[in-house]
Amino acid sequence: MTARVAILMPAYDERVALGPTLASLREAARDRYVVTVFVVDDGSEPPLQIDADLPTRAFRVVLARHPINLGQGAALETARQLALARGDVDAYVTMDSDGQHGAADALRLAERVLSGADVVFGDRFAGASNVPRLRSVVLRAARLFEWAVTGLRLADAHNGLRAFSRRALEQIPIRQNGMAHATEIKQRIRRATPLVVTEVPVSVRYTKESLAKGQRSLGVFGIVHDLAIQYIFGEGEA
Amino acid sequence: MTLAAGLLLVLVFGLLVYDWVTLRAKNRRVLVVETAAFVAGAFFIAFPSRATELANLVGIGRGVDFFLYPTVIWLVRESLLTRRRRLEDAERITQLARAVAIAEARLVGEPGQSAGAPPHSSGPSASITT
Repeated sequence: MTARVAILMPAYDERVALGPTLASLREAARDRYVVTVFVVDDGSEPPLQIDADLPTRAFRVVLARHPINLGQGAALETARQLALARGDVDAYVTMDSDGQHGAADALRLAERVLSGADVVFGDRFAGASNVPRLRSVVLRAARLFEWAVTGLRLADAHNGLRAFSRRALEQIPIRQNGMAHATEIKQRIRRATPLVVTEVPVSVRYTKESLAKGQRSLGVFGIVHDLAIQYIFGEGEA
Repeated sequence: MTLAAGLLLVLVFGLLVYDWVTLRAKNRRVLVVETAAFVAGAFFIAFPSRATELANLVGIGRGVDFFLYPTVIWLVRESLLTRRRRLEDAERITQLARAVAIAEARLVGEPGQSAGAPPHSSGPSASITT
């Protein structure tokens, strides 16, 4: 039977890259997977449009839109809820819409879930990535921080390319609306019932566009701030 | 009276008059509370020695400190509560925006097809009809 994969894809003002990202997914999945992409437009102005000719029988796209911009974590959570509401999915993948994650990598991660893993992280340092020097230093420092905060030791601290089994995804609600969700996900994995967690080499492509728009290295301060606020003021399990 | 005290009194009464003129129609009770607090404050600005006497009574050296300590305590608490409130508000806004997004989610390429919760579904959970 063909495996069914759901892709959770937050998108904010990704007018240029979104179409090609979806198209490359469709090509990579052809004849091997039934893919449903849950694109959550995080309040882009004007709203993101997706070519109506893009979907096929085996490649569906669900488009949801936040009426206001909430942040990537919030968009992922919306996609998570939409995807979990569908019963017929074998593996869930979170993926950026700006083209820095490869479609083939995304499906390779899903493949690991199909063969028994619960959580699969992409590791850009083991793959063929052109990580800029400063970004590399920040990410390696972040790895230590994440290890201390989450107890989960990963080679790549903040990679948006991940795959989950349904059992895992159900246990990982995201309350961090901003970029701190990446840390939150790991905290929740740690607290969830034992999950099989693994890393797979992926290549992350840094383009001029993704660097201009994406996270600044200074963003780490925002992440630490958000985590502290949630820790101190957040209610319940957070 | 010192120049500073005079300026402070002008500020206090100026604000009072301004608030009475602009807010009278909708917020009477707040104005009464504000007036009581400001008049008391004005008294101690005009007669700082009275404040110092009051402070000495409880073992605090300066009249200003007598007011400063409780004010700082109150402000710290207030700022913590405000932070917390802001987080709660942000969470509510998130839930609202998410509910709208899920309700209006649609399958691309099938305009008639809603991807959100179908009208007959009972629970708030999102379901996709395909």
